[in-house]
Amino acid sequence: MNSMNDERFFDLAMKVTAQQASDAERAELDALLRSQPQLKVELERFQADVQMAKNALPLVEATQATAGKLPSYVRGRLQTKVRQTLGGPAAKKETDRSLIWGWRWALGLATAVAVVFLVAVPMMRTPTGLLIQVAVLDTTGGTRGTVTNDTAVLQGMWRGSPVQTFSSIIELEAWEKNLATDVRQPIARIIYDPAAGEVRVSGQSKGKPFQENFPLEKDLITTLQRVKAFVLERGF
Amino acid sequence: MNLPDLTSLQQGDPSAWDAAFHWLWPTVFAVAQLKLQSYFPSEIEDIAIEALEELVEKVRAVKSADELKPLAASIAHHRAVSLLRERFAKKRGEGKTDSLDAATDEGQTKHEPLSEDSPLADLDQKELAQRLGKSISELKPPLGEILSDFFLRGLRYEEIARNRGVAIGSVGVYLKRGLEAMRRIWGEREEK
Repeated sequence: MNSMNDERFFDLAMKVTAQQASDAERAELDALLRSQPQLKVELERFQADVQMAKNALPLVEATQATAGKLPSYVRGRLQTKVRQTLGGPAAKKETDRSLIWGWRWALGLATAVAVVFLVAVPMMRTPTGLLIQVAVLDTTGGTRGTVTNDTAVLQGMWRGSPVQTFSSIIELEAWEKNLATDVRQPIARIIYDPAAGEVRVSGQSKGKPFQENFPLEKDLITTLQRVKAFVLERGF
Repeated sequence: MNLPDLTSLQQGDPSAWDAAFHWLWPTVFAVAQLKLQSYFPSEIEDIAIEALEELVEKVRAVKSADELKPLAASIAHHRAVSLLRERFAKKRGEGKTDSLDAATDEGQTKHEPLSEDSPLADLDQKELAQRLGKSISELKPPLGEILSDFFLRGLRYEEIARNRGVAIGSVGVYLKRGLEAMRRIWGEREEK
C-alpha cells in the first residue's frame, strides 16, 4: 500500500472505529479490506491501539490537571508528614551541630541579644492602629490541659490580644473570614495548630500581604519567639 | 508554577513542600476522582491526601523534578484501584453484587471500573509513572488534546479543527501520530 492509501485507510479505520463514518466511507473501507485482505490484520491492530489509548488517555489527562485548590486543612497534615519523614530544618540543625561546636559562645551571646530585642522592642513600640489576632485550633479535644497551658503562653506573648480557641476547621475558617479586611490597617493573624505541629502567620502590612508557617521545633515558646520576630520584621 | 526544587524537597524544606503540594494537588485529586467518582466519591479527597503522603516517603528516590507529577499520579491511581478492589471484594464476599449499580448516575448501569482498564491496573507503580511521564513529554500540545477530543469526547474532525485551530486535513495526521506515540509508550509490557 502506498502512503496515500495508507493515510486513507487510517482515516477510514479511525472514523469507522469512532462511529463517525458515513455510509460511503464504511463501504469504502469494506471495499479496501476485500481487495487487500492483509489490511484486516492492520485493522485489528489499529482497534487494539484505539482501545489502549482510550484506557490510558484519561489518566494522562488527569495527570496534567491544574484545576483545584489544596484544602487548607490538608496542609498541616502533609507538613507533619514531611517533618516526620524527612526531618526538615530541625533535623538538619541537629546534624550540623558538630560543625558549629566552636561557635557556641557566639551563638549564646546572639541568643541573649535576640531575647533582649524580642522583649524590649515591643515594650518601646506604641501600637497605633495595628491589630494582632491570635487563635488556637484544638481539634483533638482531649488535651484540654495542654491547650490551656499553650493558650497562656500565647497570651503572655501577645498581651492585649485575646486568644480564641476553636475545635474545628470550619469554626476557624469562619473566624478568619470575619476578620477585619481594611487594607490600610496592619494586621497579623497568628494561628497555633498543635495537631499539625505548627504556627501559621498571615496578614498584611504596608498594603502588602504576608504569610509564613513555623513548624514547632524545640518548644512552643521558642517557636513563638521566631513568630514574634517575623511579625516585627513586617513593621509591627 | 515552575518545577519544584527537588533538593529542597528531599531536605524537607517546608516552604518548598508547600508549593509542591499546591502544584500536585490537582493531579492527585483528578486521578483519584477518575477512579472513584462513580462508586466512592467520599473517598476521593482521602486518597489524594494519602497519595501525597506516600510521595513524601518516596521523594528521596526521585532523580528529577519532572518525575514528581507522574509519580504522584501513579501512586494515586494505585491507591484508588486498591480501594476499589478491596471494597468490591468485600461486597462480593457479602453477596452484595448488585449494589454497585445503585451507585451510578442517571439510571445508567456501569461495569466494575477495574475490568476495562486492567492493563493499567496491572502496571506497577514505577512503570506506570514512567509511562505517564513519557506520555506527557511526547504528547505536546495540540497532540494530546486532539487525541482526547477524538477518543474521549467523541468530537468530529471538523469540530477538532475549529477548536484547536488546525487545518481539517491535519487532524487525521495528528491522530495517527498520537496513536503511534501511545502504542510506543503503552503498547508493550517492559521485561522486568
